[in-house]
Amino acid sequence: MGTASKSSGAKATSHGIHGGFLRSAELYAHRPALEVPGTILTYDELRSRAMSLAASLRRATPSGGSPLTAVFAHRSATAYAGVLASLLAGHGYVPLNRTFPPERTRTMLLRSGCRSLIVDAESEPQLEAVLDLSEESLLILLPERTELSSLRSRWPQHTILGASDLEPAGNFEEKPVLPDSIAYLLFTSGSTGIPKGVMVAHRNVAHFVSLMTDRYCISEHDRFSQTFDMTFDLSAFDMFVAWERGACVCCPSDKTLINPAKFIQDVKLTVWFSVPSVGVFMKRLGALKAGEFPTLRWSLFCGEPLPAEIAESWSLAAPNSVVENLYGPTELTIACCHYRWRRGKSEEECLRGVVPIGDPFPGMDVLVVDEELTEVPPGKDGELLMTGPQLTLGYWQDPEKTATAFVVPPEKKQTYYRTGDRVRRPNEAGPMCYLGRLDHQIKIRGYRVELGEVESLLRQEAGVEVAVAIGWPVTASGAGGIEAFVMGNKLEPQTILKRLKRKLPAYAVPRRIHLLSDLPLNPNGKIDRGKLAKLLADLPQF
Amino acid sequence: MVLSVEDVRSLVLEKLQPSLEARGLRGEDIPDNYDLLTEGVIDSMGILQLISEVEARFRITVDFEDLDPENLTVIGPFCRHIAKKSLTVNR
Repeated sequence: MGTASKSSGAKATSHGIHGGFLRSAELYAHRPALEVPGTILTYDELRSRAMSLAASLRRATPSGGSPLTAVFAHRSATAYAGVLASLLAGHGYVPLNRTFPPERTRTMLLRSGCRSLIVDAESEPQLEAVLDLSEESLLILLPERTELSSLRSRWPQHTILGASDLEPAGNFEEKPVLPDSIAYLLFTSGSTGIPKGVMVAHRNVAHFVSLMTDRYCISEHDRFSQTFDMTFDLSAFDMFVAWERGACVCCPSDKTLINPAKFIQDVKLTVWFSVPSVGVFMKRLGALKAGEFPTLRWSLFCGEPLPAEIAESWSLAAPNSVVENLYGPTELTIACCHYRWRRGKSEEECLRGVVPIGDPFPGMDVLVVDEELTEVPPGKDGELLMTGPQLTLGYWQDPEKTATAFVVPPEKKQTYYRTGDRVRRPNEAGPMCYLGRLDHQIKIRGYRVELGEVESLLRQEAGVEVAVAIGWPVTASGAGGIEAFVMGNKLEPQTILKRLKRKLPAYAVPRRIHLLSDLPLNPNGKIDRGKLAKLLADLPQF
Repeated sequence: MVLSVEDVRSLVLEKLQPSLEARGLRGEDIPDNYDLLTEGVIDSMGILQLISEVEARFRITVDFEDLDPENLTVIGPFCRHIAKKSLTVNR
């Protein structure tokens, strides 16, 4: 498929998105690059680990696979070294998450065609469920392990290397990277039931990182939060924007994230980046008090609509910081629009109590269109389409879905990505405001869920022809969870839920399955989701 | 209203019922030292959401200042902490 850039595939650059990390490692070798629970790694130490893994990948990855390496690690030094190692070895990284059901991880691994994996100690127990005896030969690197005899006898067809088998860092040779090669492949909810893999190029991320490091004047003294799992592309901001300028990535444990305020204070963060839901819960629990976070310079939010009252409360809690709302689907690389919160001024620019998504990043082009993909007049609503250097390469091995989402609108020559988001095109210089979705995609605490994916699995697992999933309860930033309805009364909701739990990430599993003998229809003969929502509202509060 | 540990535990089990059932666990089988987070029943934000729902249901305020995350994800200490803090009741 076409890309927006005319110079794609031109000269190779030794840089790639890991180039910033390598430059920082030269300039700031002894400064902290990463803090994970229990360890602080300097740039030199992290580079060493990454180079050792990269050299091992180069030497031993079986041929015939995709130019991708799976990083099956979570909030550990191995996770970050693994990401860097994949990039150094000329591969894109495919993050796998042990908090996902193993079956889903298995699907992602198979579809990505990775022939190499980097696995940390805590994810290792899941290998049993993720790998298969009939698998092609894989290279599995376990840098935290030295005793491997049981694993090797269990998986004789795979090459399993532990800490003592890895190549020395000095054996690594840097090679140039093409700007259009994949930096990472992230799977996102697919409405027909199968996750879609978004291919993000080095060139895409490089543009983003360059803008962000300048906009926020990042220096080696900065300390970044790392609240997003690696399977969430916003984590790429935390890593690559920090490392570009020699800053430190501060990765909390899952437990630490239960008290985000304490984390910010203990670690003396200067850059906070999270989904708005964290702010919402902190406020509800009284943790967002004025002046609490004096060390923060920037407070950034992305992933779901940002309630105005949270922006305001946070700006008071972090009085030395600037609050910004960022917007962007994975397909447009991390984030591509931003809006700065200005106390006393921004309130009147908000729509329905939600902070605007603002203006496109420099270099990115916006089009707000009607159903025929023609531009709407200023002040009118329509679907948001965008193009520019952050337009990604499309969906992995899925030309059909790619062609549907990446289109050339009439009267235009470039390919744009159809976000499926409804926005209001501003009059003159006003900011863009988000209105909602065009389809049945919802956000649950920032995570993207295609209701169609849940419905498809419901139909399959329940053996029914009709199933409906709706986001419930509706919150300012999306939905708190999912409620499902199926037609039929001979079914066992708990059994169905158990099966869904094996295939969907926890946030996408319906909280309840309601059995109905009839699903309400609207005058067009379509399922009346409004009526179903009313059914839920009328249930005794849970 | 004074909140008992049992009240809190009932509500927690009610909220987590689908997750627990999917693991083949019944509420009464869950031992006091069961760590909801490390067992994968709930994630960090889920814990925050749970605390928020407990506050709403019982109309209490949980003091977040001295919340020790290490212990809070274990069901026994979680319920005891909440019950203790409920002495500050919102009217």
